[in-house]
Amino acid sequence: MMTLAEDGVSLFLPKSYDIVWSLIILVIVAIFFYKFFLPKLQSVFDERASKIEGGIAKAEEAQKEAEEAKKKYEAQLGTARVEASKIRDDARAEASHIISDARSRAESDAAQITANAQRSIESQQQKAMVSLQGQVGVLATALAGKILGSELKDANVQSDMIDQMIADMDTEAKK
Amino acid sequence: MIDAFSAGAVTLAATSMDMPSIDDFLPPEILFQGTPFAINRIIFVRILATIIMLLVLGITAARAKLIPGRWQGAVEWIVEFTEKNIVYQVMGEVRGRRYVPMILTVFLTMLVFNLCGEVPGFNIAASATITLPLVFAIWCFVQYWIAGIREKGLGHFLRDEMFPKGVPAPVYILLAPIQLLELLIIRPFSLTIRLFANMVSGHLILALCLSATQFFLFEVVNKAMMPFGIITFAAGAFMYLFEMLVAALQAYIFAILTTAYINMSYPEVD
Amino acid sequence: MDIVTLAEVAGNLNVVGYGLAAIGPGIGLGILIGKTIESTARQPELGGRLQTLMFLGLAFVEVLALLGFVAAFIFS
Repeated sequence: MMTLAEDGVSLFLPKSYDIVWSLIILVIVAIFFYKFFLPKLQSVFDERASKIEGGIAKAEEAQKEAEEAKKKYEAQLGTARVEASKIRDDARAEASHIISDARSRAESDAAQITANAQRSIESQQQKAMVSLQGQVGVLATALAGKILGSELKDANVQSDMIDQMIADMDTEAKK
Repeated sequence: MIDAFSAGAVTLAATSMDMPSIDDFLPPEILFQGTPFAINRIIFVRILATIIMLLVLGITAARAKLIPGRWQGAVEWIVEFTEKNIVYQVMGEVRGRRYVPMILTVFLTMLVFNLCGEVPGFNIAASATITLPLVFAIWCFVQYWIAGIREKGLGHFLRDEMFPKGVPAPVYILLAPIQLLELLIIRPFSLTIRLFANMVSGHLILALCLSATQFFLFEVVNKAMMPFGIITFAAGAFMYLFEMLVAALQAYIFAILTTAYINMSYPEVD
Repeated sequence: MDIVTLAEVAGNLNVVGYGLAAIGPGIGLGILIGKTIESTARQPELGGRLQTLMFLGLAFVEVLALLGFVAAFIFS
């Protein structure tokens, strides 16, 4: 009862040339994928992955550098601030120092000037005293000579004489 | 066999209509007749498809750049899909690494060959003879036997496959031959026939819709029949898109089943 | 046509046979895929593994339909 359909059966029977071509194509395709296509793409994938990783590393490095720079900058800022305040303090101290210095110098100068003036006054006074003493002696001698040489008649003459003597002394002193 | 799929249409139309038949899959030899290198229409399509595929993918790979363009991105997406969603998902990364090139070969070749059925001018899938899927299935068969023997040794491999644990002893009388049959015949032949049958039926239905459209719109004597042509044309357009889906899906199923079969030869580690 | 023939069925019985053969695997595929979707909805983290198992089961179920397909072509 069951008969085989000629066409239908041959549909499921591999033909020899079909097998040959299928195998040839399979081998070619397999070699292509195994030896060329996949390794090539895989290398591109790997390269890309390494590049991305490298990029991330680079970015991290840059960030680290930036952070370091920031830290450095901040440290510098801190030291600068400290230095500035130190300089300000120094300047203030120096200023007060200069002021006190100047004051003390002025004071000493003033004291010296006063002392000098005093000394010159004293020396002049002494000088005057010495010259006075010398002249007083001369005058006294001259006076005594005059008193002894002329007669003193009355009290008027006497006082006149004394006045004149003093005037003489004055002119003499003025010389 | 022609009337097997077109009896209704023939009685309806009653005049000569260019019907698709299984002769489409048994085309005459056109080159090197009678030699082992004879070429018929399907093999010609297959060779052409191979050359185009190798050229396109080869140029893509040779020009592969660090920053992918649109086309390279698409190719890379397919490669990564095969790697991650087919191989690594089934086998895991350690085991799967060895099989990535094989599965990629199977998947991409099948995808391209299946899609030839939808390319105008080719009009027949390059995988639409029993032999091509059979060759790929035998490759898979060899691979899972090698994997089983390498990982477990032949005895252990056969024992694990024929006498699975957790089954009461009498059942083994039935189970063992079935398992052996499955290991030797059912796996490779179901892979083969599934793909082949999908290609055959896809081509037959698509060709039937389109030739019916041609018949109803241009050749039919009774012009009242023309609305049928519009319906068959819509059906043909739908089948065209559906066959593209089937082509991709069958390539995917072929690849994932190959992976799963190979994975079953490995000892269980979970 | 014989006199005893009361009604003739035109066409090929193989196609009817294939249609009948496709019923079982059709139901089987429906249950298989439906259950996989259900399980994945319950435990989405197992999705990948379930999908693989589904394809393995699908290979078994489809063998039946494929046998029908082959038989329809081979026997006349």
